[in-house]
Amino acid sequence: MSVVTEVSPDQKKLTIAVKGRFDFGRHQEFRESYERLPHKPESIVVDLKEATYLDSSALGMLLLLRDHAGGDNSDIRVVNSSSDVKKILAISNFDKLFDIS
Amino acid sequence: MQAQEPLTILIAEDSAADRLLLSTIVRRQGHQVLTAANGAEAVECFQQQQPDLVLMDALMPVMDGFEAARQIKALAGEALVPIIFLTSLTESEALARCLEAGGDDFLAKPYNQVILAAKIKAMDRLRRLQATVLQQRDLIAKHHDYLLNEQRVAKAVFDKVAHSGCLSAPNIRYLQSPYALFNGDLLLAAYTPAGDMHVMLGDFTGHGLPAAVGAMPLAEVFYGMTAKGYGLAETLREMNAKLKRILPVDMFCCATLLSLSFQSRSVEVWNGGMPDGYLHRMASGERVPLPARHLPLGILSAQAFDDRTDVYPMAVDDRVFLLSDGVIDTCDANDQLFGVERLQQVFSANREPDRLFEDIEQALRDFRGQARDDVSMVEVSLLESAQAHGAAPVYSDSGQSCPLDWSASFEFRGATLRRFNPLPFLLQLLLEVHGLRAQSGALYSVLAELYSNGLEHGVLGLDSSLKRDAAGFARYYEMRAARLEALQDGFVRVHLQVQPQGEGGRLVIRVEDSGKGFDVARVMERPVDNVRLSGRGIGLVRQLGRNASWSDQGRSASVEFFWEIEA
Amino acid sequence: MTDPHVNREVLDTLREVMEDGYTELLETFLADSQSRLHELQDSTSAKALSDVAHSFKGSASNMGAVRLAELCQDLESNAKDKSPEALAQLVADIHSEFAEVRPVYESEKHHAHIH
Repeated sequence: MSVVTEVSPDQKKLTIAVKGRFDFGRHQEFRESYERLPHKPESIVVDLKEATYLDSSALGMLLLLRDHAGGDNSDIRVVNSSSDVKKILAISNFDKLFDIS
Repeated sequence: MQAQEPLTILIAEDSAADRLLLSTIVRRQGHQVLTAANGAEAVECFQQQQPDLVLMDALMPVMDGFEAARQIKALAGEALVPIIFLTSLTESEALARCLEAGGDDFLAKPYNQVILAAKIKAMDRLRRLQATVLQQRDLIAKHHDYLLNEQRVAKAVFDKVAHSGCLSAPNIRYLQSPYALFNGDLLLAAYTPAGDMHVMLGDFTGHGLPAAVGAMPLAEVFYGMTAKGYGLAETLREMNAKLKRILPVDMFCCATLLSLSFQSRSVEVWNGGMPDGYLHRMASGERVPLPARHLPLGILSAQAFDDRTDVYPMAVDDRVFLLSDGVIDTCDANDQLFGVERLQQVFSANREPDRLFEDIEQALRDFRGQARDDVSMVEVSLLESAQAHGAAPVYSDSGQSCPLDWSASFEFRGATLRRFNPLPFLLQLLLEVHGLRAQSGALYSVLAELYSNGLEHGVLGLDSSLKRDAAGFARYYEMRAARLEALQDGFVRVHLQVQPQGEGGRLVIRVEDSGKGFDVARVMERPVDNVRLSGRGIGLVRQLGRNASWSDQGRSASVEFFWEIEA
Repeated sequence: MTDPHVNREVLDTLREVMEDGYTELLETFLADSQSRLHELQDSTSAKALSDVAHSFKGSASNMGAVRLAELCQDLESNAKDKSPEALAQLVADIHSEFAEVRPVYESEKHHAHIH
């Protein structure tokens, strides 16, 4: 499984870890990781520690996640990005939409 | 268990008793039976009757079962006609021969009905499975052809839309790969009524049809608004709003937009999500990077959208170079990226600026081992104003009824000045007068100059002498943005008056502002200076219009245009 | 006691499967067998003997003539190795075995007619 989810005991925080290539092939799995939760989490963490590559479809998936989590009212952090991934996020200025570290 | 569907079964067996026995067994199981006494008869019967399944004795006179099986399999082609060998051969070598000849199974003598029925059923299932596979394959192939055709149509429509611009202008050089559309790359260029040039290099998410579908409305907005005289900011706002509205949430368009002004010798830049562009200053050899400061188009709502641009001075022959991410992302055999550093190396090594594209393509080829087919690059240079000119807009009305004797006055106040650009509207209004259409470029330039002078020097109190060097240039535009944002009071008035005169007519334009004015006499005395970045506005107005004059201590400007009706 | 020459169960199954065609089957078998015996007599090469034996073996086993089938198997496998005398003996054995079982099939024919 290249998309692994973890929900905090109080159901308020959802962590989605993406491993390997974060591209169009992950589309289904990524959506399922947040769409069918019994309780909507208050905050979401996308952990890219083991993500090796990010392309524009991954950016699109992040946008879908943000839209699902409330758009401007969402609380989404993208953490553990490698320098390559950070560069891609920086060029697309996604740090204006997500908290990136 | 499903009942076995009746099949037509060919029994090839040379022993009459065995043939009779088997036929009876098979008929009792509900099937229709054909018989043959040797291999040759079996092949002929197969050709004529097309049975669904064959029970084949291995050793027969004339032609044995192995040869008959080979021929029948060849005749069957793609369809599966199961062949069950009837044999009392026990050696494994003989059994292997059955399979090699194309046999699918074998039945030992003495015949066991139960086993025979089971084998027929199993073979029939395989037969039907193969038929389904072939059917679905044909269906998929047909759909695939449809899709390819749809893409071809989309591409043809898109070409018409995307290439109605001025990419062939003398100051533009571009390279767009054959698969650019199919990679979502978009390259547009168009003249404004004032003779400025808007250029856009875009990169849609996705490929093929989804990208093309998003690109078309975008191109329409770009061309429509540019032709009407809207600036970059307004065009960007409209493009962003449109994409946000029509595209799904996960689709967006990275883009770099440029507005080159030959008259004011500057370039305005907006980069949302694209790789760095580069402004190459010929005199110093410096390459100024133009990085992405914005999110791509189609993501932010209208309220959140940031239309702030950066403005840089340009000298004649300076160039702006833009490229799609296909260049940076090129990989070699070890999955190493070409990257920005290598691109910088190509820049440094480049001796002939006109060969930049070739140098980059060569570097990519050397790196990757082969050429890439999905790279877009564009280079726009600043030429002398005389060389750049726009195409006249096309009108579709007959010109029978046009307003020839009228006047209109407008006052734009405070907060409106911040957001609203009245120029496209005013120009459209004036172009209702047919006699003025041939001068639309000059009209727009003069209107724009008077309006921006009134707004920037008058209402905002900016000093254009700041624009004498690059640093000052940047500072000027920063201050402009800041003061505009804070603006509460002030106005710019525009008066238009059209009257018939002789065989043609006369237009008087008067623009007033609420500012402090300036020393008109002193400015008029200065010689017209083409090298200096500032202060050319007044010269332009005097050049393009007639009877230009300033009054009320510089707060009011007036200029006239005339036309004659051609016989 | 099981009959070593003809497997009665096979005959029962054949009777049941063939129904009205049973008689025709028996007649066909008997006629086929006659011609096979002639072929065995006329065969000169080991290969020819082997092929005929193979065919005969097939229908013999289908008809439940187990001992006959065994003899034919023997001839089929070993035709090329045996001496002409041994071959002639085997062919003779096949002849007599057929003569042995023939009345059984004739009797079956007769009974079938009656029913």
